[in-house]
Amino acid sequence: MNFDSVPFPLDSSFLLWLIVVGSATAIVLVVSLLATIASVGANGPVVFANELGAMVGDLFSLSPRRVFALAQLTFREAYRRKALMVFVVFAILLMFAGWFLTSSNLQPEFQVKVYVSFVLRAISWLVLPVVLLLACWGIPEDIKLRSMHTVVTKPARRLELVLGRMLGYSFIGLAVLAVMGVVGWGWIKRQLPEAAKSQLICRQPIHGELSFRDREGNDKDERGERLKAGINVGDVWMFHSFIEGATKARAIWTFTGVGAHVLDGEGNLMLENRFQAFRSHKGDMKRTIYFQYIFFNPETGTRAPFELKTVEENRGRTDRIPRKFSSIGTGSGITDRKSYDIIDDFVTKDGTLTVEVACIDPGQYLGMARPDLFVRTADLPFESGYFKAVACIGMMLLVVIFMGVAVSTFVKGPVATFLVFCVVIVSYSARDFMGTIVGDEIALQKAAQYSGHQDKVKLEGGGVLESIYRILWHMNPTTELPEGPATTVMKTIDSGMVNFLWLVYRILPNFDYFTESLQYVANGFDVRFDSCVLGCIMITLAYFGPCVLLGYFALRIRELEAK
Amino acid sequence: MNNLTSQQRKFVYLGAILLLLIPIIGLGMPADGTPNSGGSIARLRQQLDLGESDLGDLDPSGAAMNLALLGLRGVAANILWMQAEEQKNHKDWAELRITTDSIIRLQPHFVKVWEYNGWNLAYNVSAEWDAVPDRYFWVKEGGKFLQRGVKRNQRSPDLRWHVGRVYGPKIGLSDEARFFRRYFYQDPDPQFNKSADPQFNENGEDNYLVAKRWFAEANKAEEQTRQTIMDRSIFRSYPARSQLDYAAVLYKYGFNEEYDREVGDRKLNDEEAKALELRVREKLKEQTRQAWIVGLEDWTKKYGQELFSVEYLPGVIVQMRLEMAEDELKSLGKTPEGIAQLRRAVDQYQKMNNYRYWRTRALCESEPDTAEAHWSLFAAGEEYRKQNTAEARKLAEQSMALFEKTLEKYPELRDEDNFVEQAVKSVLIWNYVLRLDGEKVPEMYPLKSLWDDKQAAVPEIERRFERDSRGLN
Repeated sequence: MNFDSVPFPLDSSFLLWLIVVGSATAIVLVVSLLATIASVGANGPVVFANELGAMVGDLFSLSPRRVFALAQLTFREAYRRKALMVFVVFAILLMFAGWFLTSSNLQPEFQVKVYVSFVLRAISWLVLPVVLLLACWGIPEDIKLRSMHTVVTKPARRLELVLGRMLGYSFIGLAVLAVMGVVGWGWIKRQLPEAAKSQLICRQPIHGELSFRDREGNDKDERGERLKAGINVGDVWMFHSFIEGATKARAIWTFTGVGAHVLDGEGNLMLENRFQAFRSHKGDMKRTIYFQYIFFNPETGTRAPFELKTVEENRGRTDRIPRKFSSIGTGSGITDRKSYDIIDDFVTKDGTLTVEVACIDPGQYLGMARPDLFVRTADLPFESGYFKAVACIGMMLLVVIFMGVAVSTFVKGPVATFLVFCVVIVSYSARDFMGTIVGDEIALQKAAQYSGHQDKVKLEGGGVLESIYRILWHMNPTTELPEGPATTVMKTIDSGMVNFLWLVYRILPNFDYFTESLQYVANGFDVRFDSCVLGCIMITLAYFGPCVLLGYFALRIRELEAK
Repeated sequence: MNNLTSQQRKFVYLGAILLLLIPIIGLGMPADGTPNSGGSIARLRQQLDLGESDLGDLDPSGAAMNLALLGLRGVAANILWMQAEEQKNHKDWAELRITTDSIIRLQPHFVKVWEYNGWNLAYNVSAEWDAVPDRYFWVKEGGKFLQRGVKRNQRSPDLRWHVGRVYGPKIGLSDEARFFRRYFYQDPDPQFNKSADPQFNENGEDNYLVAKRWFAEANKAEEQTRQTIMDRSIFRSYPARSQLDYAAVLYKYGFNEEYDREVGDRKLNDEEAKALELRVREKLKEQTRQAWIVGLEDWTKKYGQELFSVEYLPGVIVQMRLEMAEDELKSLGKTPEGIAQLRRAVDQYQKMNNYRYWRTRALCESEPDTAEAHWSLFAAGEEYRKQNTAEARKLAEQSMALFEKTLEKYPELRDEDNFVEQAVKSVLIWNYVLRLDGEKVPEMYPLKSLWDDKQAAVPEIERRFERDSRGLN
């Protein structure tokens, strides 16, 4: 996998959500209050407070029956608008997919990747525009056709209307998705070349933490911190780093939660790796580069090198380590040959297993990232990961529906469509870029992987005004600006703009979690709950509340007569 | 402003529509397939060979994709290019392969797109794999990809030349050449059952001979459409160069390849093995010499006789050949100054193409003595490896004597790297054998002056011989 699966940070995300929602709500409330004062004069705050009170009252008098009735109505309406025609496009796409999915010579695991990504992408990119259009046009059409009047004059409240719309579109979106998901699954099972079908599995990995030792055997850098990276051999993208062969350089993985329960039925520990090789000289071309696992117990100091293995670059290899094995001397400086029990001798009391990896060939390099070595536990059927990925796509649809309905309550259909479309596109393609501007930790770390060094990149050159100033005065980004009030003013305005951009950045949905689910299945892994599914659920919930409130608030203050 | 009634206006619109239809029909009427049929645009398209079917095979999937994009082909192509670059950086080869296919569906007649992506697959992606069979797979992918490009762009000489380059230098000259050449006959992919991949080497030929054919096709296409890669005189030398490369590579890898092919899955005893070795050597001796003879003919009688336009005086363009007789020079140059200028032009072109070197080498190598020298040297190396010192010494001495003879006949080979390596290697093996036998190197021996001259090159030749002995080259 070429991404690191990190558990979703629940606490910090919730805190961030509170800050963002709080800030956005405060801005909306202040603007509304000012608008009310401007329109009704001194009585403005009273009117505003009454209105807020009524809104809160509405929240507590919701009728699930009415919401469900409105949802049913929305569902029927979408059905009548031929939303289900998307099935025809999907069918055509699957019928002719063979034209676009050539290269049947590719290795089986690659073919799985191609077929699975195609189906999941096709599903998401087909359903997404449908629900986007439905969600953005529903309420504006109701207002235009005045059918809204008949609803809001009934006991149905505007909050129920927003909820009913969201629920109805969610039903139809998820129903379409479910059918497509099942058809897509059948298509993969049927169309995938026979040789590749055995690769339709979901691995369940236990990932560890990775640190390094350099060629002199140091495991800490000059700042006294653990080495988190090895050598860069010239890759543009520094996700993988390398260790030098026949030196003291090691990649050290620490796996937690290891015990006899992770062994397979025959009592083997399954270690799977996706190491890369880099040759600084031709070497022996008859074989690939040698590496070695060295098991280490930090409590007892026992170190046992396992037999040499060859790298299977870009394919990955699974090594069965028998529970009871004999160590071998090569490459580790240890010459005796002893028998060990991998669980009893190397797993510490708290269930930690330390595996060091050494490159054996002198002058050659072995490359790795954290997810490149894992303990493989019993595989799950392909369906397990596939349908989780479909569910994640479903949650992405929900986010788009929530946004679409909320936005459509205060702008017309075409504007709402354009706005939500832009939000989706920017979230997909430019969110990381915005993240680097506003100083987001994860975005900076991602950017650093392209910058030639492992630390976070520092944004140089300042904000908009500072950049303009530097361009006009031909100043490079590292030159200090002259001290003075003009610089202070410029920097203050710039930081205000960056703060606003920070809010926008945080409001844009992070689709990474949704797209990662696809990557897991396409690469033959189960979709992890803690690092992917949980993220999708949390993001969906995070958008649900604010979108409902925004929609309700906008619909409540809106003049329905205005088409 | 306007006194027309609604009905009158409608009639005016109708008239305007009918009036505009006349030039539209005249310009845009489609052709029915016969020459000069259809409107002006269709006829112009036929004249300039700009129709899809004139450029190459039609691809319905690409056409469908272009239609579905509703004119956003450029945007989609840009996005795909960015994705492909990111996938390459992320080493996501499966996705890269598919993205590449999508790009060429959108830009099927953009030759540089084929060139770039073909190179990417055959050279960059293959180098990212450590196992040689995997590298070979991607070389094949690049070669096949470029061949698809040729089908879609039937008039492009450049693409044919690039296909030739994958077959020739990529397979025959890379670090993995020893393996790639073998895989070219016996694909490592189990589905081909130890035979060649029929999509890549249909007739089970040598890679350089397949390359020669592609380069010849490139030359043929170049007669109609200008190539954009290099000077024309170099571009057109490639078929002959491939033949020469083929002859040269037989010395290097020919024996082991042929021997293994003959043995197949059989198990041979020592006597059978020795007999087979001898037979293969004799076969290759003749095959190599014949290859050099064909190479010499291709180089001097085909390539050497090609006409090239050269501006030999400012504003004066003359057609010259690389193999130009004195009287031809005189008749074209006319004045003594003109003759001198023309001679200089021919000389410069010969230098640019290394023409004289290859002519001399082919001439020398096509002689029986040189062939004998090479194969005696090869046999000496084999015998030395088996520690048959007497036999190794005899063969090394024979080889040294023959190389000495060749050097006397072609003294310019004294500074030619390949020849020097071979000659020095014969002395090296002879030295090793003497050391093993506990004998001293005599005062005088064949190739002594060359050996003394080239002492600086000896360690590198020794290292290469060592690697050869261990089967690492």
